[in-house]
Amino acid sequence: MTSDIHLHINKVSKRFGTVDALRDVDLKIERGSFVCLLGPSGCGKTTLLRIIAGFEAATKGSLILDGQDISNQPPHKRGFGMVFQSLALFPHMSVARNIGYGLKLRGVKGAAQRDRVEELLNVIQLPHIADRPVSALSGGQRQRVAIARALAIQPPLFLLDEPLSALDAQLRDNMQIELRQLQQKFGVTTVLVTHDQHEAMMLADELVVLKDGAIRQSAPPSQIYNNPADSFVADFLGAANLIEVGAMKGGAIDLFGTPVKSSPPHRDGEQMLAAVRAEHIGLSTVGKDDKAGVGAISFMRDLGAATEFVVTIDGKDLRVRRTSAQVQGLNVGSKVGLTFDPSMVSLFKAP
Amino acid sequence: MSLQLTKSKALAFSLPALIAILPFLGACFYIFRFSISGEQSRIEGFSIQPYVDLMTPYFGRSVWLTLRLAFIATILAMMMAVPLAFLLTSLRSPFARRSLTIVILLPLILNLLVQAYGWILLLGPSGVLNSTLRSLGIIERPIFLLFNETGVLLGLVQTSLPLAVFPIVSSVRGISREHLEAASSLGASHWRIFFDVTVPLLRPGLFGAASIVFAFNASAFAIPLLLGGRRVQMMGIAIRDMISPLFNWSGAAAAGMILIFVTMITMLFAAWLARITSEKVER
Repeated sequence: MTSDIHLHINKVSKRFGTVDALRDVDLKIERGSFVCLLGPSGCGKTTLLRIIAGFEAATKGSLILDGQDISNQPPHKRGFGMVFQSLALFPHMSVARNIGYGLKLRGVKGAAQRDRVEELLNVIQLPHIADRPVSALSGGQRQRVAIARALAIQPPLFLLDEPLSALDAQLRDNMQIELRQLQQKFGVTTVLVTHDQHEAMMLADELVVLKDGAIRQSAPPSQIYNNPADSFVADFLGAANLIEVGAMKGGAIDLFGTPVKSSPPHRDGEQMLAAVRAEHIGLSTVGKDDKAGVGAISFMRDLGAATEFVVTIDGKDLRVRRTSAQVQGLNVGSKVGLTFDPSMVSLFKAP
Repeated sequence: MSLQLTKSKALAFSLPALIAILPFLGACFYIFRFSISGEQSRIEGFSIQPYVDLMTPYFGRSVWLTLRLAFIATILAMMMAVPLAFLLTSLRSPFARRSLTIVILLPLILNLLVQAYGWILLLGPSGVLNSTLRSLGIIERPIFLLFNETGVLLGLVQTSLPLAVFPIVSSVRGISREHLEAASSLGASHWRIFFDVTVPLLRPGLFGAASIVFAFNASAFAIPLLLGGRRVQMMGIAIRDMISPLFNWSGAAAAGMILIFVTMITMLFAAWLARITSEKVER
C-alpha cells in the first residue's frame, strides 16, 4: 500500500535567539487525515503550526506540500484555513462577511458568495445568523463561525490552534464531535494543536506527542495509549502509574511479584521504570498465604461507571480503576492483591 | 462586592476636578454674555450687534483660513502619526521605546516660544537653511518658509503631532496579531490586511485623535502669532486684535463664541462620520 503524503515536514528546526523551539521535526501527514500535535506548553507545538501556516519561517528544514517546496511562500499565498486560539473573528464585519471574506479575496462575489456562505451556515447548523454582528454571538456560535470562515475557502490544509480551550467542558465535548464530523465531511487534511490529551485522543487519526521541540512519538492514538514510546509519553497521556521496579534480572523485571519480560535494547542490570494504566491493574481478594503483590486501599471514590482506588504497596501509591461491578465489598483499609497483565505493561529505562 | 468604583464614590473623587472646571464654565458663560452685550467695552443691555458686525468678508476669510489650516495640519499630523504609532508599538527594546516616546512628547514639554524661535533659527530669512543655500549659490534671495501660511502649517503640525500619536498608539495596541494573521491566512496581502482589517479597527481611534488635533489647531494662538508674522489671520489672532488695539470686547467675545461653535460642529461631524462608517455592520 502506498500512502498518499499530503504534507511533509522535512527536518524542521526553529531557533528563537538561543532557544531551540523545534529540533529536527520530521513528519509526514497523509491526505485527509486528522493530526493532533500534543504536548505541554512550551513544547513547540504552536511554533510548528505557525511554521506550517507560514507565520514563522523555519531556521532549518523545509515544508513539502504535494511534492512542492512551499517553505518560502507567504501565508496569504498558501491559503491554509486557520482557526486561532482567540478565534480572531473580525469585529467590524457581520457573520456573513466574516465567512465570505476569504471568498471575496478569491473573486467570489455577489450571489455566488452568498450561496456559499449560506451553505456553510447550514453545515454549522446556524442558518439564521448571517447578518448578526460577531459581538452578538455565544461562545459556541463564534467557534462554529470561525471554523466556517476557515473552511469556506476550501483550504488544502485546515489548521487549528487550541480552538476549543476557551469553551466549557460540556460544549467542548460537543464541539469535538462536531469538528471531527465536519473534517470528515470536507475530507480536509487537518492539523490541530492541543495540550488536552482527551481532546487529542478523541480527534486524531495520528497523534504527535512533542516535548522540548522534538517529537517523542507519532502514531495512532490507541497505539500511543497502549504502547507509549517512553515514560514521558506514558505519563502525559494520563492516568498511568510510573513505577520504579529496580534492576532487570534474567531478561525480566519483577512488578510486585508478576514477572514482566523485556526485550532488547534493555539489558540485565539496567534500572527500569514500568508504566501501567490505572484500568489495566486487577484487584483480587487476599488469601492467608499470599505475600507478593498485596497492598492496602488508602483511598477510593465511586465515579458512577467506575471506581477509582489508590492502593499503597511497598510504600508506593498506585492508581487503580475498576468498573463498579468488580469491586463489591472493598473499603478503605481492605487488603487487596494486585494482578498485572504483562502485555499491558510498558518498560522504559529509568532516567 | 464590586472592585469597580461605585457611581457615588466616583462622583465624590471627581469633585475636585469638577470644581476646577467650574471657573472655566463661568468664563465661557461670561464670554457668551459679553458677546450679546449692547456695549463694546462692558456688559450692558442685550444686542446681537457684535455678531452682526462680524459678518464681514474680513472675518469670513479668517474663519475660512482657520478651518482650512487646522484641517490641513490635522491631515498632515495624522499621516505622520500613524506610521509613528506603528513604529512605537513595534519597538521591542524598552530603551528605544522610551527614547522615541520622549522625542515625540518633546513638543508638549518645550515652551512654545522656544519651539517657534527654533523654527526661526532654522528656516527664517537669515536662518540655517537660507544661509546654507545662499552660500552654496543655489538661491540668491532667501526663500520665505516662515511668516506665511507654510510657516504656520509647519508649526501646527509639529506642535499637534504628539496629540495625534498617543491615542493612535493605544488603538494600534488594541489590534491583535491574530486578527491580522487570520486575514493573511484567508488570502489577504499586506495592503489588503491594512485596508480591510487594520484601518477599520483603528478607525474610532483615528477619528478621536483627529478631533483632538483639529480642535487644538483651530484654537491655536501662539503659533500663528509667532510663525505667521501677523500676516496669517487665524481666528485666535483676529480675536486678540479686536481686544488689544480696538478694545472691542463684545466683538472679541462673539468671535470667540463662533470659534467654539465652529470647532464643536466639526468635531460632532467627525464623530458622526466615525459612527456611520464603522456601524454599517454592527448596527
